[in-house]
Amino acid sequence: MNKLNKLNQVAAAARRAAAWLLPAGRWDWAVAIWAEAHEVPPGLTRLAWRAGGVWAIAREGLMPRRLGRVALFAAAAGAAAWAAWPQPAVGHAGVSQFHVIATVLLLATLPLLARRFFGAPSPGRAGRSLRVLCCAAILALLPGLTIVEAFANLTPAQPAYKYTYCIAQGWSNAQGCNGAPGQSTGGPPWQGEIALLLMTIAYAGVILFLTSRRSQVTRSTLAIATTTGLLFGVVMYAVAPLGIGRGASDPWLPGSTADPLVALAWILLVGGPAAAAVLAVRRARGPGGAALPRNVRIGQGIAAGVLANGIAALFTSALGTGTVALMLRSTWLLHWLNHGHYLTAIAAYRYQTNASSDAVVYLFMLIWFPVIGLIMSALGAACTPLGRPAPEELAPVPATPG
Amino acid sequence: MTSALGFSAQTLSVLAVLCDQPSQWQYGYALAKQTALKSGTLYAILIRLADRGMAEACWQDEPGSGRPRRHLYRLTAAGLASASVALGSAARPTTTKARTAAVRGAVVGVAP
Repeated sequence: MNKLNKLNQVAAAARRAAAWLLPAGRWDWAVAIWAEAHEVPPGLTRLAWRAGGVWAIAREGLMPRRLGRVALFAAAAGAAAWAAWPQPAVGHAGVSQFHVIATVLLLATLPLLARRFFGAPSPGRAGRSLRVLCCAAILALLPGLTIVEAFANLTPAQPAYKYTYCIAQGWSNAQGCNGAPGQSTGGPPWQGEIALLLMTIAYAGVILFLTSRRSQVTRSTLAIATTTGLLFGVVMYAVAPLGIGRGASDPWLPGSTADPLVALAWILLVGGPAAAAVLAVRRARGPGGAALPRNVRIGQGIAAGVLANGIAALFTSALGTGTVALMLRSTWLLHWLNHGHYLTAIAAYRYQTNASSDAVVYLFMLIWFPVIGLIMSALGAACTPLGRPAPEELAPVPATPG
Repeated sequence: MTSALGFSAQTLSVLAVLCDQPSQWQYGYALAKQTALKSGTLYAILIRLADRGMAEACWQDEPGSGRPRRHLYRLTAAGLASASVALGSAARPTTTKARTAAVRGAVVGVAP
């Protein structure tokens, strides 16, 4: 009997686990199957009933399309973790390994939590595409950041490079830094990694919420935000594919060629979210084209601005750190970015060191871009003339059809 | 094994039981006993029927003594019409022997 009780407990645990896989509309069925078990005679019959129930729930949850998405995520996460996994010789390898595992686990579990607390994803492709895009960007950031951090902390094996390395480390001369040649002098601290994880949670959480039904962000708002964000992201990346530092970006767009793009990047940083907010406020409509109340429309504008700059920051950071990491692993990219000009080994090392040191700017970008987006979109949305509200605008927002 | 209307023999047996007293709400274990289906098969069928709008489900108002509230099921008007056609089709002599044998027990006493 004790064994049966234990098996029943295992079945109950399996049921709870399987229920997580279910879409929101299926939870009632999971509860129903379990409640019905009380009708079944205790013993093996009841255990068989519960086992069948777990199977039915799991089969419902793991529908082919969902299974395909899970497999795709597993493949992408596995590839990112494999590329990001630090060698044991790397300084603070344990911290980096924790970061990789925690990020993958977060990306796997946050959508499940979001479905439970925020409801299903908003209807239409815009929300789902945005989720996929952001998940891909966060995964792409993993190997980029790990490789760049490892390089930045690696004392060069050649004594001739030591001065460049020490200057990049913040020393005024080569006397201060005394790392063993070819050895790692340190690595990411725990505090930094935890802050990075919190930022990942914030990004993923905000995007999951804004693309869920509960947020009531409309498809047009999501489309406006995504377009603005990607445009800004492309410009920002083109300005400085090897880090925001002047030294690192010089090979790509030297001198005046870069200036109009830099100006455009500034305009988009400040004006992009404001413009997205104005557009989103003007285009915000409820289901069936119904007018929305003023505060809801302003909310759509702010969501568009925050999302636009958040997407831009994620996109630029993922591509930027990815390019720097690629350059550190294969110098052909550096030579190609220098338009085929010959680079001495020490000049190449200087570029690599500068680029890996400058990569920290991407983290500031991830923090500040959405904040700037919030401020500018609030201004933009508040200043958008909405005209006199029509009587129907004062009606409650109709529920989004399921 | 599916019928001309796309119902499996197991689905037809569930439809037959639900058609028997279409106005009455039925609960899962009673359906399982009458159809001799296991819970994994039965609930998959009920979920599909509900998705197609052929069956409706609700929770019992009050829990019984010592047991939680029951989830109850019955056919909708559209479900009843479709089920009658499907069961009639399955019972005709033109259907395959195997299908007829599979659903014969379930359709006995059900007017097509």
